[in-house]
Amino acid sequence: MRAVIATVLIIMVLMLWWLFIPQPAEPPKANSVVDMLGGEADAGFERAEQPRTFRFPQDHGAHPGFRSEWWYFTGNLETAQMRRFGFQLVFFRNALKPGEVDGESAWRSKQIWMAHFALTDVQSGRFHAYERFSRGAIGLAGAQPEPFAVWLDDWSVRQQDGQWILHAAEKGLSLTLSLVPLRQPVLQGDAGLSQKSAAAGNASYYYSIPRIRAEGEVMVGDQTHRVTGGVWLDREWSTSALGEDQAGWDWFSIQLEDGSDLMFYQLRGKDGRADPHSSGSLLLPDGELIRLGAEDVKLQPLGYWDSPKGGRYPVHWRLQIPSQGLDLEVAPVLKNQELDLLVRYWEGAMDISGTHAGKAVRGQGYLELAGYSED
Amino acid sequence: MENNSAAAFIQLKNLTRIYHQGERQQLVLDGICGEIQRGEAVALLGRSGCGKSTLLNLIGGIDRPDAGDVVINGSCINRMDEHGRTLFRRRHIGFIYQFFNLIPTLTVVENLLLPLELNGWDLAEGRRRSMALLEEVGLAQREASYPDQLSGGEQQRVAVARALVHRPALVLADEPTGNLDAESGQQVLELLDRLVRDEQCTLIMVTHSQVVAARTDRTFSLKQGRLVSDGEMVW
Amino acid sequence: MNLLWRASLRYLGRHPWQMALSILGIALGVAVVVAVDLANESARRAFDLSMQTVTGQATHQIVAGPKGLDENLYVKLRRSGRLPASAPIIEGHLAYAGQTLRLLGIAPFAESRFRDLLSHLPDEAEEGVLRQLMTQPGAVLMSLERAQGFDLSVGQSFELRHSGQKRQAVLAGRFEPPAEQKAVMRDLLVADISTAQELLGRVGWLSRIDLILPDADAAELDAIRELLPPGARLIPAAARGTAMQKMTHAFSINLTAMSLLALVVGLFLIYNTLSFSVLQRRELMGRLRVLGATRSDLFRLVLSEGLLIGTLGTLLGLLLGILLAQELVQLVTQTINDLYFVLTVRELSLTPAGIIKGVLLGVGGSLLAVVVPASEAALSPPRRVQDRSRVETGARRLMQPLAWSGVVLLILAALLLLMSKSLAAGFAALFVLILGFSLLTPLWVSLLCRCGAPLFGALFGSPGRMAVGGVQHSLSRTGVAIAALSIAVATTVGVGVMVESFRTSVQQWLESSLQADIFIAPDAPSGTGYETALNPAVVQIIESLPGVAGIRQSRPVEIQSGDEITRLTALRLPKESYAGMKFLDRPPEMVWPLFDREQAVIISESYAYHHGLHAGESLELETDQGRQPFKIAGVFRDYETGQGVIKMRMSLYRDYWADRSIHSAWLYLEPGVDIDLMMERLYRLVGEQQALHIRTSRILREASIKTFDRTFAITHVLRLLVIGVAFVGILSALMALQLERSRELAVLRAIGFTPRQLWGLVTAQTGFMGLISGLLAIPLGLVLASVLIFVVNRRSFGWSMDVVVSGSVLFEALLLALFAALLAGLYPAWRMSQTPPAQALREE
Repeated sequence: MRAVIATVLIIMVLMLWWLFIPQPAEPPKANSVVDMLGGEADAGFERAEQPRTFRFPQDHGAHPGFRSEWWYFTGNLETAQMRRFGFQLVFFRNALKPGEVDGESAWRSKQIWMAHFALTDVQSGRFHAYERFSRGAIGLAGAQPEPFAVWLDDWSVRQQDGQWILHAAEKGLSLTLSLVPLRQPVLQGDAGLSQKSAAAGNASYYYSIPRIRAEGEVMVGDQTHRVTGGVWLDREWSTSALGEDQAGWDWFSIQLEDGSDLMFYQLRGKDGRADPHSSGSLLLPDGELIRLGAEDVKLQPLGYWDSPKGGRYPVHWRLQIPSQGLDLEVAPVLKNQELDLLVRYWEGAMDISGTHAGKAVRGQGYLELAGYSED
Repeated sequence: MENNSAAAFIQLKNLTRIYHQGERQQLVLDGICGEIQRGEAVALLGRSGCGKSTLLNLIGGIDRPDAGDVVINGSCINRMDEHGRTLFRRRHIGFIYQFFNLIPTLTVVENLLLPLELNGWDLAEGRRRSMALLEEVGLAQREASYPDQLSGGEQQRVAVARALVHRPALVLADEPTGNLDAESGQQVLELLDRLVRDEQCTLIMVTHSQVVAARTDRTFSLKQGRLVSDGEMVW
Repeated sequence: MNLLWRASLRYLGRHPWQMALSILGIALGVAVVVAVDLANESARRAFDLSMQTVTGQATHQIVAGPKGLDENLYVKLRRSGRLPASAPIIEGHLAYAGQTLRLLGIAPFAESRFRDLLSHLPDEAEEGVLRQLMTQPGAVLMSLERAQGFDLSVGQSFELRHSGQKRQAVLAGRFEPPAEQKAVMRDLLVADISTAQELLGRVGWLSRIDLILPDADAAELDAIRELLPPGARLIPAAARGTAMQKMTHAFSINLTAMSLLALVVGLFLIYNTLSFSVLQRRELMGRLRVLGATRSDLFRLVLSEGLLIGTLGTLLGLLLGILLAQELVQLVTQTINDLYFVLTVRELSLTPAGIIKGVLLGVGGSLLAVVVPASEAALSPPRRVQDRSRVETGARRLMQPLAWSGVVLLILAALLLLMSKSLAAGFAALFVLILGFSLLTPLWVSLLCRCGAPLFGALFGSPGRMAVGGVQHSLSRTGVAIAALSIAVATTVGVGVMVESFRTSVQQWLESSLQADIFIAPDAPSGTGYETALNPAVVQIIESLPGVAGIRQSRPVEIQSGDEITRLTALRLPKESYAGMKFLDRPPEMVWPLFDREQAVIISESYAYHHGLHAGESLELETDQGRQPFKIAGVFRDYETGQGVIKMRMSLYRDYWADRSIHSAWLYLEPGVDIDLMMERLYRLVGEQQALHIRTSRILREASIKTFDRTFAITHVLRLLVIGVAFVGILSALMALQLERSRELAVLRAIGFTPRQLWGLVTAQTGFMGLISGLLAIPLGLVLASVLIFVVNRRSFGWSMDVVVSGSVLFEALLLALFAALLAGLYPAWRMSQTPPAQALREE
């Protein structure tokens, strides 16, 4: 669940103005954000009001009729010598206005794109994070279903010879992976309709591909490492989602060695309590999909990390699903996996250990913590 | 000035001065010799253009002889460089001219102060001295006037005061009454006489008036470039 | 205060006229220098600031030919991942309500590291502004000041004009730039790149791509170059600014030289005044020496007086200069816009450097000028009477050595001209020449006096003879005054002859080159010709007009390579126009076949001069297909631009550049076709399509000459100022002279001269001095004109021209000198004739 990342994206658009200002003035007023998110959406946008039929590969492409959308790739990688890496490459799309563009210039666009790229290097204890912005025009950024591609500048995931090639690079850092999905897309929520708050239409269309085999290279400095690992893709699009009293969320994606894949997000209210719209799913090795509600999952923070920039993140958890006999400890591979970007949040690679139906089990995953930073 | 017991205060040794006018040369002073004692008042008589002023300029260090020496109190001033002579003159000599030669842009008292300032006198001290002298010449009330606001006789009285204000050992006066009416001239002469004696100065006065000359201790005449004492050739 | 000083100050206070005049002289000299410097500096600063505003943090730029860069190059670079810090820019000029506005099209997401253009929006601006900029066609941001001036409110639509075509725009927001950028950003429009492409009619193209490559080494730059198509070039961001500055370099040097001339004349003045005051006080100086003031006391005294006058004059000059600069800067800006590029200079930038320069020149120059009189004062012998004849004898003795050093200086000037080809050396020679000439002046004056005495004697009797005699008698003073006046007059002769020769040559050139009947171009602000084009529909209409015998089409462009901007004009020439080109070193029948068929160009004289090129050689140009060689078919005479222009046939241009636009067309009508009727017809046919300038050649010629005259307006102003300084100089010299002679004049009065006769005497004397000045000024003026034409103009612009000396210029010079002198003599003459003789005699 990244519904609130949509908030982030829109806040970002607002903040672009403040970005240009040498001494940031006051942050944008909260009510204007809420107006844009929770208030009435522009009439021209489509809304996620009822379940729909998902079609692939078409739905891998963009849905410009909705205000916002993202392609969220997270993964755990390992070299033959067991050197651990984690990565995140995410593309956000946000529409400034509904409808087609006017004018002759190929540059005019209503689509704004943002991408984040983060790499966790466990051995050196370093975490790198970068962001990019662009307009969705003239080929600078965009997404297409056939052959699948989503990109912003040279950061991209493109279909090539039946595989998806993921690539992102910054100075002294590069990641190139070929991806092969091992599972069919999993429709989250109610057959892909994911309700975020009580109001009708405050929902998104949401699917995941929880298990994707990855193989490729990580380059750090002048060293190139061959890596293999597992990647999780989250896809979501919506026009309005969040309720007014929601403050943040904790999102877990877990791939267990026994073949189970777990996704759960806990929405937090401004009063600090878990929101009843928290939700998730457990995909069992045999393909059975179990929907999880707020009452099915018990979450208990075990440890915290204090950001030097302010904010205290619960980075270490115990996650229990008693109905499934699941009791897991979710521990960060590195405590500092905070993305200190225009919008600050924590998202990092995790080690999983615990028991599933009485048997000891291990696994890997990703945790996202939003709404903890104090700015 | 340092005392020098044996030699005379002023010694003129074989002074010669020639003026060049194009190709022509004119011998103005032809080997003049003479001595003047400290405290003496001497008159120098002669016709216009006979070289009286030239001799006075040589003694005052304003001009240099073509040959011979001027020794004042043991110092041979024509051997000094320009700067040395200027300093000597500034310290030891006072001048009085026929045309007063006051500084027109300075007031009466400032005219008196100027030599003192050049000699580095203390300002308050200089002022006291200047006022005292102005009192002596009877012009204390006119201290703030500019020279052109005074009559000729008054200007010359200021000039006399200025010549004496820095206590020079020697006062050179060039026709001091030549530009004044008889009464004013008389007044200036009496003043000069009195002050020179009071201040124990040596005075050399150029004049063409026997009457004026009669007031001095000794009289010389210049004739054809040579010095004649009391009507007869001395050397 | 020291008594010497007090005496000196009181002296100056008693001669307020002299004091005032010399202060005024210095002030004028300093004012002109400061004003020109400020105007130049303001133009430069405005240019720098506007470059800085549009270049921002960019270290490098990718640029291409006249058409610009294909927009897809930017996408390619972004997707290569090699240039994360890159921003596309499209810029151009638009007109609104008679005002030229610069439009900067930006990609907001790529911008933040480059420019802070968007940071100046006031609080009212919200995310809506960005949304509007990016999504709404025509949305632009404008400075608050301009928006208020135009009475435009946010959200209001308005009509801009580009290249004579209407463009719809909407005011999306108003920015308030910080104080230091106010002047630069006032006339700036900011828009999203999409909107800018549409407004400028350049959809699909970029002006440039800005890059931040702070520590890129050669290898890295080469790697980027690998990615570029032929015709696109990677250059340092400063290169364009440097190249544009280079264009105006010669222009600003010329202005500076003119201003220095005014200062030189001003220095003559202070020299004159102070040496006079020393002379006048010689007796007083003598008294002071008798009282024991040393030589250095007096030297310092006069030096201090010079310092005082110099300082007062300089201070006044600074104030005057700042006032004057307000006017000058407009003239300078006008010229830059007419000749080079669009530049708006609204504010005078008072830099400490400019002020310090003025102070150093004024005070330093005054001290220099006063050294001679100060030494003169120091050398005053301690005599009670010093007659001036002795001084004059000295001056006459000096006359010969002075004349000799004058000759040496003249030789030095000649050597300078021969040895170095630089413009600076040209100006240096000019100044050395003037100095040498002025050293010769006393000799000339003396000679002329000898000849003039019998003449004036015959004309005016003994007062006439006395007048001339007086000039010669006071040579030490009259010489200087005459030198100052003749330099000033010579300057006007020199500049006058140069401008007239230039104008005549330009006129002839216009006659021959503008033989077409009708000229058609888009209605666009001056300086923006490179970005305007005729609407293709208009071109089509013109081409199908009956009654047209031939059409000459032209497309001027600027090509940047390295830090040089080359002007290239692509031409489609009908046979009728061949005769209009005058080739300098080859017969036309040799040039045209090459131009028409080969890979060849013709170059203007200026271009040939600056690059040392000749017909038969070849040159290289950056084309859209990389660097290409072109043969030089011929060198033609042209006065269009000072840095020169290359002309190429249109078809060849289109082979190498992806640019199909036509800027302007000249129509040659068939015999018997009425021009007025044709113009009317044209207006009817194309008026709907585009706002156009349609003019007859005659009107165009007149407009060109008007532009020419406007360009030289600043020269005329400086010329007048130089004369003004000289006038003050001669006035003060004459006054000094006459006042100094007051006693002599009083004697004349006493022996029976009537006031009228005295007046006549003084007037005859000043008139004689004016006459001499005028006579001396003519040869010097002609020499100056030659240097200006053959050295300065040639080296600045590479132009050659036929020298035209009209009798009227020379006659005017004589008249000017005479008039200035007589005018200057009025007051002294009046004063002398009014003074009762007794008073003058009584004055001791």
